[in-house]
Amino acid sequence: MSAELVRVAVDSERCIGGGQCEMLEPEIFLLDEDEVISSVIGSGALSRPRADVVVHRCPGAAVSIVEPQRPSE
Amino acid sequence: MSPSASTPTLAPEIADPRLYLDSIPHERFTQIRSMPGLAWHPYEDNGFWAVTRHADVRAVSRNPKVFSSAIGHTNLWDLEADALEARRSLIDTDAPDHTRLRRMVAGAFTPKNIRRWEEAVREITVELLDEFMVRGGGDWVDMVAAPLPIRVILSMLGVPVADADYLVELSNYLVEGTSDTQSLPPDAFGNTTELRLLPFNSPASHALFEYGDEMRSMRRAEPCDDLVTHLVKAEADGGRISRHEYRHLFHLLVFAGNETTRTAISHGAMALAAHPDQWQRVLDDPGLVEPATEEIIRWATPVLHMRRTAATDCELAGTAIAAGDKVVMWYASANRDEAAYADPFRFDVGRGDNEHFAFGGGGPHLCLGAFLARLEVSVLLQEMAARRMFLEQRGEPVRMASNFVHGVLSVEMAPGGKP
Repeated sequence: MSAELVRVAVDSERCIGGGQCEMLEPEIFLLDEDEVISSVIGSGALSRPRADVVVHRCPGAAVSIVEPQRPSE
Repeated sequence: MSPSASTPTLAPEIADPRLYLDSIPHERFTQIRSMPGLAWHPYEDNGFWAVTRHADVRAVSRNPKVFSSAIGHTNLWDLEADALEARRSLIDTDAPDHTRLRRMVAGAFTPKNIRRWEEAVREITVELLDEFMVRGGGDWVDMVAAPLPIRVILSMLGVPVADADYLVELSNYLVEGTSDTQSLPPDAFGNTTELRLLPFNSPASHALFEYGDEMRSMRRAEPCDDLVTHLVKAEADGGRISRHEYRHLFHLLVFAGNETTRTAISHGAMALAAHPDQWQRVLDDPGLVEPATEEIIRWATPVLHMRRTAATDCELAGTAIAAGDKVVMWYASANRDEAAYADPFRFDVGRGDNEHFAFGGGGPHLCLGAFLARLEVSVLLQEMAARRMFLEQRGEPVRMASNFVHGVLSVEMAPGGKP
């Protein structure tokens, strides 16, 4: 099975600007220059294992995986 | 302690600073890690829960609502309420104050903005290493490990070069304040504040506050592109930061920017001298500078522990914790946890997936200067490699008797060539 892609999101209230996400995935996360809050840039799509690492390492527990909406049956 | 709790397992003594004079008492930590649940450690008239396993340290660090930094103190001993307020800094706050204050300075320490300092760090490193080689070595702490980080943080703050020596002196007195020795009289530097109201009980804290205030006035009159100007603007701009908060942030940045990376560089040099085979690997493969940097920081663990205080009754590792109990995260132990690392007592510059807790246990109090520390250590390794420097340690280091910082006061090194 190919690596499953998931979308990630940042809770701006919880973000402490620790920069772990930007260190781990600079293509996906960017810290705002003024407010020092991380946000998702581009598609925000990551392989699930990589997304899990960012979630695990975020010091403010601000990064989460947005679970895909399953089509209604 | 909860009165309903059954008699807890007692931890062997790990708080006595004298135990740390020769090395971290790792055998005792290994013993505590193998005990079921959390072990209770008597301390002064009460005690603390000794959190020693990697997973448990993480659980405490990442649950700040339950394990508070703002209650009691973040060191082992409690402070009286007025002293706690007078001494409160970013370290002793919880959200939302912590988040607000942290964001005030976090911008300067993001990976991208820290990279801008690389050339400045390299310039200082080259100067120090060249002098070290010309003089045929000497005290590594005095010649390299101490001056490198303090010069960098002072540059970031915007402290004039002419005052650097004075701030180094103050900072050294603060380092001294983390141990039992205090060589300053209470009224040093014109201090009139009761020592118990000053960080590290040190009159040098008074002097550092005064200096920070002077810089604040200067930058108000004449803004520059530095961290102090940034903070002064935040204070003026709708009072996003109070005067107390400014003073303590300035103090924290000077102290933490000096003491911790100094320790990493001191232990790092000793580790490289003791393991020339590991250093050879870095020389052969520059790609190993990054993992070697992480390994040196894990190996050194400059801050040995931080304390939290339970805000509510809770449970950790199957042990009941009562509101008000002290919960102490021993990073020094977590970084040698056999459940988290293969062969944790081996110094391995190629260690992968090195999620060490030398910058804290993974929660919101993550070391603000983590990327700066990494930059300083990695540039140092690169420049040592460029000089094919094989450090030779001459004699035993002089270590601090402290259960809080893994301090090295001096260690003689020579810049040997390949053995």
